[in-house]
Amino acid sequence: MKNQVSKVIVLDTLESSALAIVTVAVVSLLVVLFRRRKKHRYSDNREPDWSIPVLDAQSDGSSFFHSWHPSVKVGTLCASCFLIVSLNTLTWSLAAVGICILAVLLARTPWERLSRRLVAISGFLAMLVVLLPFTSAVRPEDTVFLIFGMENWPFHQRGLIVALTIVCKAVSVVLLMEPMLATAPFSRTLQGFSGLGLPRKLLSMIALCHRYLFVFREEILYMQRAMRVRGFVPRTNLATMRIMGNCFGMLFIRSFERTERIYEAMLSRGYRGSFPAGPEPPKTVYDFIKAAICLVIALLLLSVDRIMPSPLL
Amino acid sequence: MHIADGVLPFSITAAGYALTVCGVGISLRTLHNEDLPKIAVVTASFFVASLVHLPLGPTSVHLLLPGIVGALLGSSSFLSITIGLFLQSLLFQFGGLTALGANALMMGTPALICGWLFRRIRGQTRTSNAVAGALVSGIGTMMAACILAALLMTAGEDFWGVARVAMIAHIPVIVVEALVGAGIVSFLYQVKPELLIPGAASG
Amino acid sequence: MSAPSNNLPPVESQPPLFSIRQLTFTYPDGTPGLQGVTLDIHTGERIALLGLNGSGKSTLVRHLNGLNAVQKGICLFEGRNIESEPGAVLRQRVGLLFQDPDDQLFCSTVYEDVAFGPRNQGKDEARVDELVRGTLAAVSLDHLLCKSAHNLSYGQKKRAALAAVLAMEPDVLILDEPTANLDPFQERLIRELLAGYAGTLIIIEHDLFFLQGLCDRALVLVEGRVEHDCPLDDLLQNPRLLIACGLDFTFRCTGPDSAAATAGLKPSRIIHGEKTGGDHLRSPRTGEPFIELQRYSYRYSDGTTALRDISFSLFTGETVALIGENGAGKSTLALSLLGLYRGDGHLLLAGEQVSESELSRLWQRVGMVFQHSTEQLFCPSCREEVAFGPRQVGLTDAEVEHRTQEALTLVRLNGYEERVPLNMSHGEQKRLAIAAALSLHPDLLILDEPTAGLDLRSEALLLQILSDLPMTKLLITHDLTFISRLSRRTVVLHRGRIIRDYATSEFLNDRRLEEIAGLDYGYKRCCYQAMEKALEKRSDFVQDNQL
Repeated sequence: MKNQVSKVIVLDTLESSALAIVTVAVVSLLVVLFRRRKKHRYSDNREPDWSIPVLDAQSDGSSFFHSWHPSVKVGTLCASCFLIVSLNTLTWSLAAVGICILAVLLARTPWERLSRRLVAISGFLAMLVVLLPFTSAVRPEDTVFLIFGMENWPFHQRGLIVALTIVCKAVSVVLLMEPMLATAPFSRTLQGFSGLGLPRKLLSMIALCHRYLFVFREEILYMQRAMRVRGFVPRTNLATMRIMGNCFGMLFIRSFERTERIYEAMLSRGYRGSFPAGPEPPKTVYDFIKAAICLVIALLLLSVDRIMPSPLL
Repeated sequence: MHIADGVLPFSITAAGYALTVCGVGISLRTLHNEDLPKIAVVTASFFVASLVHLPLGPTSVHLLLPGIVGALLGSSSFLSITIGLFLQSLLFQFGGLTALGANALMMGTPALICGWLFRRIRGQTRTSNAVAGALVSGIGTMMAACILAALLMTAGEDFWGVARVAMIAHIPVIVVEALVGAGIVSFLYQVKPELLIPGAASG
Repeated sequence: MSAPSNNLPPVESQPPLFSIRQLTFTYPDGTPGLQGVTLDIHTGERIALLGLNGSGKSTLVRHLNGLNAVQKGICLFEGRNIESEPGAVLRQRVGLLFQDPDDQLFCSTVYEDVAFGPRNQGKDEARVDELVRGTLAAVSLDHLLCKSAHNLSYGQKKRAALAAVLAMEPDVLILDEPTANLDPFQERLIRELLAGYAGTLIIIEHDLFFLQGLCDRALVLVEGRVEHDCPLDDLLQNPRLLIACGLDFTFRCTGPDSAAATAGLKPSRIIHGEKTGGDHLRSPRTGEPFIELQRYSYRYSDGTTALRDISFSLFTGETVALIGENGAGKSTLALSLLGLYRGDGHLLLAGEQVSESELSRLWQRVGMVFQHSTEQLFCPSCREEVAFGPRQVGLTDAEVEHRTQEALTLVRLNGYEERVPLNMSHGEQKRLAIAAALSLHPDLLILDEPTAGLDLRSEALLLQILSDLPMTKLLITHDLTFISRLSRRTVVLHRGRIIRDYATSEFLNDRRLEEIAGLDYGYKRCCYQAMEKALEKRSDFVQDNQL
């Protein structure tokens, strides 16, 4: 196996232990940060945080993104996301992260929700970063590090680079989400998605679903609260699974019963199978200029990614 | 586990989207207008249920629920899951927007199959229903894990190891999911059995 | 069936608005809903639709709106059959307000919700905008136009739902329990709005006080039949009639003052402090309180303060009424007593600070009955529901069974062991929730709005059950009867502060509360007095009946 590899770097004991110490330090730092965040989230009441973020709390700003027509904005930014995930090299993915940070600064959206998004994807990305360097396929011209004590687990430089590229691309897209979604009221943003060809029927279902997330979240919180007050402590055992099954079953039954009532309320207000649309603000030439700017930047990134894969090396 | 942005190659992302668009299109076509609000609202409850974390040893897991969604919604489950995933990616970043197509396939296909399977095997008694509920919940999650692994493997030979680990990581989730699924179905059977009958949910 | 004898100007010249003949409705599962209902409703009438839960009131109004298709009999609107297909013209003229406002606010913003109806009616956008702003201003919600429904308080949601119906400019307005769970201030707001409504009005409501003066005709349904159809005032002054239809609200009318007298509390036992300063007044009890919050403050995660510097203590054996406007912090206070909310300050149980790890010990001594009963019932049978708590604390099977039976007997639900909680009536669910708390043998029972949505018979039974329970009770309610009959001490919360802590008899005579806290119990008191006079006149009937 090793003869396929052009370059093998063997780390001696000292270098290996230094690496180990650095790794341990970084991991424990992350754990401490995560713990603190979690503690902060639990501190004000002792109930788990299943809160659903309110996306449009800061929708009344006046930035580049706020004044952008939602339809054009959503279309452009979605297209940009697709272009960004098509990048192949670490360098230009890093550049994409930089550009997307600029976009967030421009939109002046809060960092708190952004950090929540990053935490959400961190599990998957961490798995890639940890696993890929050890499990990626071996190809000619790869550089492999043999760490002392882990000779059976060669560390592939290319695997790490692939993982980091993915991290950068994912982070860039996450960064773009806030300017895209948080700079207009959620209903307008959803309307914007119809510009991407989503049928109106689907959009009204998404809007309805979003509205009732908050209602059901409250219901399940109340249910869990009632269970805790009557002595229930979730554990890893059969009884807990059964009780949670009851709890979910109750939630589903109540939701089915609620849909009946909602449907009747809609009928009695003249519903005929579709949600009536409000007036849509007109698109101006500026909306399209903004779209052009964004798309040109994204296309430029993609083309340099393909033409000059490694400008520095 | 949902796939984040930037992992899958463009061709797979696009293919995932194409298939999902087809699936949703067919669902929407066949959906009656009076079912539209119902599916949407019920989806919200599935979404909320999937946010709840259950303890598992020192850590905790949340449910994916493809089996149960399939059992309760039948042919509308693909639409329901796609809507749920879309909102999850907008609100929480659980699964990237660009990977939505692939994620919807990963969760929606098992739901469709499980819905069909559940109806075939559920039987008439509470026990047989509970067992069927456990089976479809477990199988649904297992299929989702397999599809996840398969999708990851399309990203190149580099990802084969990751795919294997992802599969193994799902085993405890499958067990929890099956147990809770049994609990859910047995509760529904006792309290509101008409929800488990195909078509009754939307009628 | 008595003949309609409304005292309205005769409108016989036009056909009646609704004309119902021998309307019969059976639910798919075989439960009869309506049995041969015959009645006419004329334009401009104001009808109070009364009856116990399950007597067919909702089924009847759902026919008027075309939500239920006519199975048997005739139901005409302006001489034409009522169609039940979606989007029927009828629905644009008959507005229906349901109980739960969350069911009616299904759009992303309040504006969209209110615009939903008018847009479906095909009105042009300028008119829609005008209507939305107009009706939202009428329910004083115009500052929340672009908010989502989940950012609104319960009372605000209720008003927004009313606005959404009013924006359709309906000729007929049907309301299903418009005041359930509302504080007196919100209730008055809705009452004034309805008083100003010009069209035909049909209100389903258990609160006869609310209906008095608002409606002129009373329709009493019993088991799907129209039992009485007479002017509302006649009905209210005829206790025998009311009792006969199961609307025995005489338990409400023993009179607040006499109730305070039976409670045997003399106001002199209360130390009078400075009331106007809004300071907390300490109850002059000696000895150690059972549970106590000391200098306690709580903020929600969004930064709004729910409780400010509260000191509150409960002594063993007493029953305390906790009142205040919606959003005053009553439920927050209850959840803080349970340790579910953790704010600044101390929570003491029998003089000892309760730490986070001891909460389960606290919960074995403090039982809680939450506001929405269905949200605390999650078992497939009543037996399991009541046994849940004792099982969790690890009692033996025999003891669990014993406690289950005992608790079910206390709330008069013995024999219900195998029933499915979800399918029981609202009143039964409430009692089951109480049983589920009682099976843990708590020393303190906290009840959050126990009367919301109950009919008069369930209320009377609940009142009986609660007054028989010996333990310490904290009662969160707006209901004057429950306050006066059950509690000796009343604590008033206003915007997160305790502004009053005194004897219930004092509260019942506190005329200044309205101006300070906006808690308008005044008109209810008037109702009491009017009702009492009416009853005195007819007290012979009552006595007859009780013999």
